[in-house]
Amino acid sequence: MNLLTEPIGISHYLAVGAVMFVAGAVCMATKRNALGILMGIELVLNGANVNFVAFSSEYLRSGPRASLGLDGQLIALFVIVLAAAEAAVALAIALNFYNNHATIDVDRADDLKG
Amino acid sequence: MDLASTLPTLLGAAWLLPLASFVIVWLFGPRLGHAGKHAGYVATGAILGSFVLALIALLSWTGKHGVFVEAHHDESHAGAPTAPPRSESSPSKSPVQFRLVAAAAEGEHADYAHYDHEGKAYYTGDWYTLAKFGKLQLTIGYYIDSLTVVMFCMVTLIASCIHFYAQGYMHDELHDVEDHEVTLSDGHHLHRRGRYHRFFQYLSLFCFSMLGVVLSGNMAMTFVFWELVGVCSYFLIGFYIERKSASTAANKAFIVNRVGDFGMLIGMMALWSSLGTFNFGDMAVEDAASGETRSQAGIFSQVRPGPSHELVVPEGMKQAAAATGSEDTERCGYWLLVIAGVGIFCGCVGKSAQFPLHTWLPDAMEGPTPVSALVHSATMVAAGVYLAGRFYPVFAPEALLVIAVIGCITLFIAATIAITAVDIKRVLAYSTVSQLGYMMFALGVGGWVAGMMHLVTHAFFKSLLFMCSGSVIHAVHTNDMTKMGGLRKKMPWTAYTMLVGCLAIAGAGIPFLVGFSGYYSKDAIIAQAIAYKEVNPLWGVTLFVAAGGAATTAFYMFRLWYMTFSGQPRDAHKYDHAHESPKVMYYPLVVLSVFAIAVAWPITIVGDAAEGSPLVHLLNQAVPDGVGSMEGAVRGTLAASVAIPSEHASHVDAIHSAATMLAFSTALGGFLLATLFYGWKYLDPAEVRNQFPQVYRFLWNKWWFDELYDALFVKPAHLLAAVAAWLDKNVLDRIIDGSAKVTLVASRYDDWFDRLFVDGLVNWFGRWTYGVGLAFRRLQTGSVRQYAMFVVLGTVVLFFLLSLFLGTAVGR
Amino acid sequence: MSSALVLLSLVVFLPSVGALALAFFPRKSEDASRWFALATTVVTFLLTAWMAIPGDGKSAQFQLGVAEMQNVFNVSWLPSFGVQYYMGVDGISFPLVLLTTFLSVLAMGAAWPIAKHVKGYCILFLLLETGMLGAFVALDFFLFFIFWEVMLLPMYFLIGIWGGPRREYAAIKFFLYTMLGGVCMVVALLALYFNSDVTKLIGKLSPAEWRATHLLDAYDSRIDAAVTGDARTFKAVELMQADIASGAATEHTFNILAMQQLGQKTDAFDAVLLGGKSIQWWAFVLLFIGFVIKVPSVPFHTWLPDAHVEAPTPISMILAGVLLKLGGYGLIRICYPICPDAAHDLAYFVVTIGVVSMIYGAFAALNQKDFKRLVAYSSVSHMGYVVAGLGVWSAAAATGYDADYWKMGMNGAMFQMIAHGISSAGMFFMVGVLYDRVHHRNLNEFGGLFAKMPVYCCLAWVIFLAGVGLPGLCGFIGEACVTLSVWKFSPVLAVVTAFTVILTAGYILWAFQRVYLGAEYKGPHEEALVPSTWRERAIGATLVAAAILFGVLPYQTVFRYMTPSVDKVVADLVAWQRRDDAVAPAAAMAGASTEPEAATPAANAVSANE
Repeated sequence: MNLLTEPIGISHYLAVGAVMFVAGAVCMATKRNALGILMGIELVLNGANVNFVAFSSEYLRSGPRASLGLDGQLIALFVIVLAAAEAAVALAIALNFYNNHATIDVDRADDLKG
Repeated sequence: MDLASTLPTLLGAAWLLPLASFVIVWLFGPRLGHAGKHAGYVATGAILGSFVLALIALLSWTGKHGVFVEAHHDESHAGAPTAPPRSESSPSKSPVQFRLVAAAAEGEHADYAHYDHEGKAYYTGDWYTLAKFGKLQLTIGYYIDSLTVVMFCMVTLIASCIHFYAQGYMHDELHDVEDHEVTLSDGHHLHRRGRYHRFFQYLSLFCFSMLGVVLSGNMAMTFVFWELVGVCSYFLIGFYIERKSASTAANKAFIVNRVGDFGMLIGMMALWSSLGTFNFGDMAVEDAASGETRSQAGIFSQVRPGPSHELVVPEGMKQAAAATGSEDTERCGYWLLVIAGVGIFCGCVGKSAQFPLHTWLPDAMEGPTPVSALVHSATMVAAGVYLAGRFYPVFAPEALLVIAVIGCITLFIAATIAITAVDIKRVLAYSTVSQLGYMMFALGVGGWVAGMMHLVTHAFFKSLLFMCSGSVIHAVHTNDMTKMGGLRKKMPWTAYTMLVGCLAIAGAGIPFLVGFSGYYSKDAIIAQAIAYKEVNPLWGVTLFVAAGGAATTAFYMFRLWYMTFSGQPRDAHKYDHAHESPKVMYYPLVVLSVFAIAVAWPITIVGDAAEGSPLVHLLNQAVPDGVGSMEGAVRGTLAASVAIPSEHASHVDAIHSAATMLAFSTALGGFLLATLFYGWKYLDPAEVRNQFPQVYRFLWNKWWFDELYDALFVKPAHLLAAVAAWLDKNVLDRIIDGSAKVTLVASRYDDWFDRLFVDGLVNWFGRWTYGVGLAFRRLQTGSVRQYAMFVVLGTVVLFFLLSLFLGTAVGR
Repeated sequence: MSSALVLLSLVVFLPSVGALALAFFPRKSEDASRWFALATTVVTFLLTAWMAIPGDGKSAQFQLGVAEMQNVFNVSWLPSFGVQYYMGVDGISFPLVLLTTFLSVLAMGAAWPIAKHVKGYCILFLLLETGMLGAFVALDFFLFFIFWEVMLLPMYFLIGIWGGPRREYAAIKFFLYTMLGGVCMVVALLALYFNSDVTKLIGKLSPAEWRATHLLDAYDSRIDAAVTGDARTFKAVELMQADIASGAATEHTFNILAMQQLGQKTDAFDAVLLGGKSIQWWAFVLLFIGFVIKVPSVPFHTWLPDAHVEAPTPISMILAGVLLKLGGYGLIRICYPICPDAAHDLAYFVVTIGVVSMIYGAFAALNQKDFKRLVAYSSVSHMGYVVAGLGVWSAAAATGYDADYWKMGMNGAMFQMIAHGISSAGMFFMVGVLYDRVHHRNLNEFGGLFAKMPVYCCLAWVIFLAGVGLPGLCGFIGEACVTLSVWKFSPVLAVVTAFTVILTAGYILWAFQRVYLGAEYKGPHEEALVPSTWRERAIGATLVAAAILFGVLPYQTVFRYMTPSVDKVVADLVAWQRRDDAVAPAAAMAGASTEPEAATPAANAVSANE
């Protein structure tokens, strides 16, 4: 299956979501800056959101089992809210961390090492 | 005067006086005078008092019953007013005797008289009860007949003499004593305090016990005092407690006596469990339920019921035989009777030092000499003979055969050993054993009066001999006759009184005319032996043994006298220091020698003219019912060949004169032989000794009896003891300790199991959890980026896994 | 009733009250502790001595000639199990109680040299006395068992703490043996309890017998005072029956007297249990083992020498003088009356055990080198007489059920217990006096003591002769009675019994010779052999006096108290035998000769239902 030749369908959305997810994950794994990681998280979440929305779209899917209604959109909204809350908490942690260690390098934050 | 109450009172008081003396000396001994000197007076006074009381008893007895059996024909009304009137109609036999039973229950005399024209006179009753079980009773009581009275007089008289004598002999004990026979580990001789009062304390206890045996009214009481005389003898033999030999001899005496008592107990059990009574005579008992008094048959009348007084198997024994499931109850019961008789005789064997239990008596000479005189010759050892005489009605012919044979063996063995002994007291000891054998032999062949008479006469001359030897020992401080000699000049009183003793024991006399006391008693025994031989040709050899014994007796007694008193002194040092004993010692000798000469003389007293001596007649009054009176011989049931001739048989002139000649010639032969060897020294004993070295050694070592018993009994007993102790230590305790060990081992395994499995599982789980925790700890790196990686990787892995395994389920 | 409750409780618990009071004494006041403990034992002794003055039945003094229990009381204790606080004395137990209090005084007097933890010693000693007294007077089997075990613990500590070098071993051995006995006993106890059924007695007992069991005492208060005599008893039986039917009371009982009646008159214990043998057969065997361990008889005797050798002198005195008696007491009080069938079956076995103990103990004693061990083995030998005497069941159909010889044996056995209490306690005391001085007991390292300690030796001589069984001293009567009674039972065993007299004389006289006689002392610490003190003389002289008194006046001192009760035990058992033979004529040997008068006791029995 060639995505470039296909008409826009669910697969394309999924591909975008996957790319965003992977980019976010890589970002989380590689960034040493806490803010960078936060950005990665946003990417991951939004990648997931794209998937939810795509699966839930009436236009993209058809068939007897396609009637998900507004579930996908609803979950996406939840995720957004969650991300906002998460970002607020995470930023607060980052600020506190900075206050204590004068850096936001996550590799230095190993106090919970077992 | 009511004899039924006075006699028991008199003799009871005579019996208890020494006990009082014993208690006083025991409690206050050392405080009585200087070093307890007055203890001797107390004891002597007590026994003198006893003698006086016994004498009064004898006089009242003869006053009532006369001396001679025939003499009191009409006096029998006099006593016991409560007695039922004598039935005149009954045909009175001659000699008429009567039986008077005085009974007392629980200490109060319930006068109860019973006349029987058949039996002999006796008085019996109980003083107090030791224990009561149903119909069975163990009591302390009395049985008094003329034998009892004669014995009482004899014992108290000899004991009085010996008490006086002992005051002199034991004089050394009044101050500190140096015992030369005991050497301490530092090489010095033992120095100790005197024990004068102890000696008299034991003597008093002994007199009390001995009189108790004589007075005893039943078998249980006899056994009680039997044991008590045994223990007194133990105390007195072991008087020098520091000497090992003395205490060993004391132990030996007591234990050997206990061996005899073992048999005696068996005899007693056989009687007790079949007859249900220990009383000798018939006794009135009060029935607790009805309050009536009824006559309870004693042992004698159960075994020999009137009027014939023939020996029968008592009903109780038949029942006892039936209870064992025996078919022939008569025969089985008879066996029981024989067992009872032989069993009781075993006790006599022990006490009277008969073969095979004779070994203790010579060793008993370790005691002070007065003790040897009183206890180990005159009285205690004679108690065995006395009991055999007392118990005579119960002896079946078979038991009498045993008695005769044992007596015969004893008199022979002891006489042979006495020939070679050099210890003056041991010679006398063996002579005692031999003479006791004579008495037993006399009883065994049916000569009741002969045996009892020899008991009395022997008591006098043997105590005399011992006291003389004590006097000698006192003078020369040795027992060894080879160190004596020629002492006649130094101590004439002792020498000549001892000569009297020797003559008496040898039975010297002018045939058919007059003689020393031993002459009469020995004659009677030999005569009975001849009569016995006539009815029992099979056992006739006993006569020759007895005659040989008589010759040997004369030989060794004069050997003793010659070696001690005649010839030249063998040890000059000892001779120089020798001296006659003090008066307090030799006066009793004189008194006793008078009795040794004359006690059996056929003198006439109080106008009664009769054949024979008063002693014989007194004893005749006590001849057990059915023993002397029967015509002809009594045959045994089990061994019909055994026959016991009646004593009348020996009074036949032919037999009597034969006996007199036999006794005289044997005694003369023995005397002459001794004179040849030791008096005139025509023959040299050393040469004879070298001629027969084996025989000499055999006799010197007393037939090896001690060694034999040591090997046969003592060693095995110790071995058994060791086995028992070993069993305890190595088997029973092993089992206990072993079970403890098994428990320990089991608990160890239990512990091991606990640790390994139960605890192990828990611990292992804990450790494992910990280990897992440690392993996972590594993952907790603290690095956010890694966590993110894990999350991603985990998701991916999960995804793969899910799609791999659940792919189909989810996919569809 | 209540005076008995007060008196007996006082006798039993006075020592433990004393022990409690002692607990508050300061640790340092050793002399005060000793004197206080002595005073307690003396007061207890005086109480029992007062009881021994013959009374007329109105006061609590002992009434002579009465075979039944006196001074009885019973108070409900654990009603759901029928356990009662139930005590009383009779001719069997009372002499033993007196012996216990008497020996306790002497043993406490002998405890003066003990210097270690004096207060603790006194407390344990007094507790021990309570245990012993309680066991003798308890009439409830459960209560008896409790006291039995109460004795055990103080004894264990008294040996284990105040004993000699191997005390732990000895104490453990004693403890284990006695525990084994206790286990046997408890199994038998439960078996008997759960098979007991008092309703079976109805119709079997006469009113007097009902009253003698004291089973109905609890119902007394519920009956109108106007009802008297036998009617009162019947009423009480009815009430009991009603209570049991309604479940308000249990039909099982621990009442020893009731159990005796059950064993003798009903089939309560006759059911087959194991191996074709009945409950009472097994109960007898278990109880016999339990008691015989205490006696002790061969082969259960090996705890005794060790315990004695290691125990301190006063404890040896108590152990030999009193504790061993509990075995004999248990046999005569519990084993025989409750299990007559088994006792009859095993009579030969019992006597054999006794006779073997006699001779075995005597042989073992002959070989000992330790003085105390020798005395301990002499105890085994002497206590053999007790077992043999109890067991000589000589009554048989063929002899017309003549039980006089058995009475003699049993009385002799009981006397032997008292006599042995005096003589063995005396012997242990005598050994203890020497041990206190020279600290060894090797028989071969003594000698020559007469010169150094004359008074002591004189006393020792009497005591040891009492051990030999010399007439005139206490040892003789019991041994003679037992020995003479054995022949009727079995001539063979009688011969062995008689043989023992030789050995007894042998080992005691030999030991005496080695220890007391001779010229000089051969062991260590010669300088310590000082003459006896007044305290020692007083104790020794008291024992000697008792030995002579019991030997010379056995009837006045012991038998007149004892014989009625002992004879009753025998008579009851023989009555059982008659009934049993009547039921099974085949069992009676030559039964044809006996007439059926055997059935009279049954005819007297009154049915409660009328």
